[in-house]
Amino acid sequence: MRWATRRHCHVDRAACAWLIRRFIDPEAEFIFVDDPDELPDDATPFDMRGVELSHHGGDCSFETFLKSYELDDRVLWDIARIVHEADVADERYDAPEAPGLDALMRGLSLVSEDDEAMLAVSGPLFDGLYEYRRRALLLGREPA
Amino acid sequence: MRRRQQWVFLAYRLPRDPSTPRITLWRKLRRLGAAQVLDGLVALPLDSRTREQLEWLADEVEEAGGLASIWIAESASAAQEHALASRMAEAIAGEYAVLIDEAEKVRGATSAERRRAVRRLRRQLQSITRRDYFPPPEREAARRAVEALAQEVAVAP
Repeated sequence: MRWATRRHCHVDRAACAWLIRRFIDPEAEFIFVDDPDELPDDATPFDMRGVELSHHGGDCSFETFLKSYELDDRVLWDIARIVHEADVADERYDAPEAPGLDALMRGLSLVSEDDEAMLAVSGPLFDGLYEYRRRALLLGREPA
Repeated sequence: MRRRQQWVFLAYRLPRDPSTPRITLWRKLRRLGAAQVLDGLVALPLDSRTREQLEWLADEVEEAGGLASIWIAESASAAQEHALASRMAEAIAGEYAVLIDEAEKVRGATSAERRRAVRRLRRQLQSITRRDYFPPPEREAARRAVEALAQEVAVAP
């Protein structure tokens, strides 16, 4: 399937792209556009103004994805808490990890040649975050 | 000549009732540090983050049955821009001043109370800094006040 979003991925879009490839569509192909008018007809848009898979009712796009695709994995919702605060920073959740994730994502976007390259490096970072939070939730404490 | 700052504007109109979306919007604008230019018109210095944040709020306004549009603008006069930037700097300086005050007040408290205060004040400082687009001198003063308190707690028995 083809998926489309705005150019210059930051935390929410990078997290959504990772979620799509890992949990929704392993064959996902991403298209990056500057303007909503450039959206190809055959691509599913996300994290853009006025589309279904985007910010809604104070949720960030990552949370909208979890709801729309009924992904009720509690590790993903735990990551959603961090992504939400890194993206929106409205203190809806307690997420001390958020400023760190925000800094890492901003840094990666500075050293990545384009969005595809950005996703190639941010993907493993989310894999690691997922594993870390999965173990933390199992153990009931931070894994050593 | 210095290139003039670009701004992103959100123009909006929300129905008078219900009041919840108005209050939510107002809180979010405040958290972003947006300057109210007129009733229903707010501004932030343009960067990819500020533009995106205002775009999400535009969507929220529309979801609440209101009207919203996003504009990229430049002030036609330097004086006008300076007035807006100064107003934003003044507002943020006030927030830092409150923080400095709180750091000062907690000085005589028990070390447990001061430790909690350091955590809270650091968090507040971070959130103010995030919406501080034209840093006033109070920013450095606030940072120093919180760190001085942290230092005190660190050496306390």
